[in-house]
Amino acid sequence: MSGRLLGEMELRRVCEEALQHATGDAAEAMVAAGSVELTRFANNTIHQNVASREASLQLRVVVGKRVGMISTNDLSQDGITRAAQSASEVARIVPENPVFGGLPDARPIAPAPGAYVESTAEATPIDRARRVEGLLRRARERKLTAAGYLSTTGTELAIASTKGVWAYSPSTTAAIEAVVIGGAGSAWAEQNATDLARIDVDAVGTEAIEKCVAAQGPRDLEPGTYEVVLEPYAVNDIAQFLGSSLTGQAVEEGRSFVAGKIGQKVTGDVTFVDDPFDAASIPRAFDYEGQPSQRVTLIENGVARGVVYDSQTAFRTGAANTGHALPPNPFASSMPQHLRLAAGTNTREQLIREVRRGVLVTRFHYTRWVHQLRTIVTGMTRDGTFLIEKGEIAHPVKNFRFTQSYHDALGATLGIGKDLHLFAAGEWNIGARRVPALRLGAFTFTGSTQY
Amino acid sequence: MAFGVERDLAERALDTAKTRGATYADTRFVRRAVEDAVVKNGHVDTIERRDTFGFGVRVIADGAWGFAASQVVNAPEIDRVAALAVEIARASALAKQGDIALAPVAPQHGTYRTKIEKDPFAVPFEDRVGLLLAADAAMRTVKGLRTTRANYEIWREDKLFVSSEGSDVEQTFFETGCGLSAEAVGDNELQIRSYPAAGGRTQNQAGWEFVERFDLVANAPRIAEEAVALLTAKPCPQDVRTTVVIGSAQLFLQVHESCGHPIELDRALGTEAAFAGTSFLTTDRLGSFRYGSDQINMRIDSTSPGGLGTFGWDDEGVPASEGWAVKNGTFVGYLMSRETAAALGKTSNGTMRASGWARLPLIRMTNVSLMPGSAGTLQDLIADTDDGIFMETNRSWSIDDKRLNFQFGTQIGWEIKGGKLGTMLRNPTYTGITPEFWGSCDAVCSESEWHMWGTPNCGKGQPGQVGHTGHGAAPARFRNVRVGVVK
Repeated sequence: MSGRLLGEMELRRVCEEALQHATGDAAEAMVAAGSVELTRFANNTIHQNVASREASLQLRVVVGKRVGMISTNDLSQDGITRAAQSASEVARIVPENPVFGGLPDARPIAPAPGAYVESTAEATPIDRARRVEGLLRRARERKLTAAGYLSTTGTELAIASTKGVWAYSPSTTAAIEAVVIGGAGSAWAEQNATDLARIDVDAVGTEAIEKCVAAQGPRDLEPGTYEVVLEPYAVNDIAQFLGSSLTGQAVEEGRSFVAGKIGQKVTGDVTFVDDPFDAASIPRAFDYEGQPSQRVTLIENGVARGVVYDSQTAFRTGAANTGHALPPNPFASSMPQHLRLAAGTNTREQLIREVRRGVLVTRFHYTRWVHQLRTIVTGMTRDGTFLIEKGEIAHPVKNFRFTQSYHDALGATLGIGKDLHLFAAGEWNIGARRVPALRLGAFTFTGSTQY
Repeated sequence: MAFGVERDLAERALDTAKTRGATYADTRFVRRAVEDAVVKNGHVDTIERRDTFGFGVRVIADGAWGFAASQVVNAPEIDRVAALAVEIARASALAKQGDIALAPVAPQHGTYRTKIEKDPFAVPFEDRVGLLLAADAAMRTVKGLRTTRANYEIWREDKLFVSSEGSDVEQTFFETGCGLSAEAVGDNELQIRSYPAAGGRTQNQAGWEFVERFDLVANAPRIAEEAVALLTAKPCPQDVRTTVVIGSAQLFLQVHESCGHPIELDRALGTEAAFAGTSFLTTDRLGSFRYGSDQINMRIDSTSPGGLGTFGWDDEGVPASEGWAVKNGTFVGYLMSRETAAALGKTSNGTMRASGWARLPLIRMTNVSLMPGSAGTLQDLIADTDDGIFMETNRSWSIDDKRLNFQFGTQIGWEIKGGKLGTMLRNPTYTGITPEFWGSCDAVCSESEWHMWGTPNCGKGQPGQVGHTGHGAAPARFRNVRVGVVK
């Protein structure tokens, strides 16, 4: 185990110490710890380069239907004791929450594939800088500028409770994002993995540089409804938004497009599965309550099959807990954390070749809900948008604003890529997704810009 | 004084960094206590207290930047982290194209403390939670709601900054925020109303008096009734151009997105290109570009009382300052750091802040505000408008990576006919191009309508940071605006 991680024994000590000093009917301790290291570049130079070692203990203490929650990053004996006493005090004075369902019992956790790679946890600033320097040199040679980052993180998560829960998992991620910018156009490439050795910086550089060259001199194209081919970078955004609506809490609050529609066709022939055991993702077999995460089919060939739950939403709604809790919070209690949009059979080139007239979108930017229930999202295209004519990329076009229902857009799915691209969400690995490229029959661009 | 032994540790960090070859070093110790409370659907859903403490060391070595941070505060860890920061800087230098240069700042010494009337942590816990329960209950007197939430956040942060150039400043900040939201669900329809602002809560550097001034209980039934009424309200007109009057609970976010971010000099110089993007306000436009109409005056002010961007010194030890971003419609000023200011031959106006001890300071909005005009009250402005739409309180927001093409949705709108508010409108949106939009402004309400809003959720940087920024705004009127994209 890397010296940058605290290790299972130390996390167990912290949890046990916290539970020991908590005075209530039940208590739960969660420790998230790790090292976040990121080398950021822009204008063909490394301009920000950071490393931080972080750890926090979050403690929930329950007295009847009263719950107190404390988090601290002071993991000394005194710090843990203070946190436990403070959480216990809050749990005594806070008003009752009659819909609190109690802390979940211990349940067996099935083994998941490993997500920890020692050499990634041990990566050094020089390891990252050398890789980045090669990409920057290539951009300079082509008279382009590159911006982005290469990161390596090693994190570990442990959950214990007085009800017998114990769960521990270490993981690593390595990620590179690169935008390459020319005088009149830019392009994007990105890779994520649990292993730095599997990050192909050269391939990322080639993809971004060659697409950037092709993206120079974008032309005007009237906004409107077009057939589109979305690169996985753009599809990831769709998966993220729809995934956030495929939860028990979203259904309970009437915000989900599948509310009242389980068993019904809600979109096109696409399949979304949350698979905590997906070895090609960043697998973890338990959630932030230490409950076993189940593989859940959310949408199967367009038919809504289910949503994911945490213990409290399951208790309130009478559903079974699927083990998808996020760290306790009142706004989003669960989330599909290993979402996969099932692969199809087409290469990217085949998807493009089938389009008579349409738009190729590399990625979306600054996307936000306009209307969550209808899954209407607005955002911009960015870093490589092209007109497709007669199955060929004709020329780059200026960026569009879109305002589009995402599940409606998937309703007109015409083709699905065969290769899945992994995306990791943030430095603490809360939510990974694997998605392919998609060809969609109709996507509405509602505005444009001058570049 | 919140810091004792940490000052010695800070000096040790600087000594270690210099010994290892750093030509510049600074260190920040940050201790923060936050309490969040949420009442949902009549019950206390969450009471969470969060304490965090740690330090970060930032250095220049071999002409390049390095930064390292840790939560373990003792001498061996100080030595390790300071040495690591230098090692990281040397790695950065592998790809450098020139040495980092910093604009000068004189060594700073002193203390700063937010002025508050009521220490929020000293207000009895039962009173704080009791207010949320009462406000939530007041919302739930209205039939037809699906979800209600009432929340507050109280915050205290102590920060020590020491640099190798001789600065040593210690600051204490208090923040207090609160908010209500009521959600109603109908046939393929979901409506939300919130108060005082959207996004969960509004927040200021203030004590508990900030919460008390909003009278949450009295306003709760009103927003609840509006949420239910919106389910069957008339849809906003689709894809038309009209006059729009925008309330300050929406307009402050427009200021944040379309003025605050594009005047960040790091964006203009390309160092945020991959993530947040760049800026249409390029350096050749400084001092001459027509950003908006003569009515538009945008101020950068880190001394504004209550603003979330108010302080004594930024995280580079540069003193708080005030100045103009836009004066009578012309773009005249950036938010700058010492490094970016040097690139323009200027001195920093003190806008570098980190989200905590574990992150690097970045250029962040301090308080970027649309200054009041002379159009009187909101009532006066509506009375002066013959035909248009009044939109209030943000629901959605999006803007492109140069900060030109934006689209906002608001929670609620009303027709304006003959100088009076008329029919309620559902799902209002408006869209435009930043300088055209601000150029179409022909009236800004007077000071009596001006309010300092807080944005406690501004994302920037990689690794991600959440910043707290302040924005004053008064309602304003815009002509020939494109509205309506959601039927």
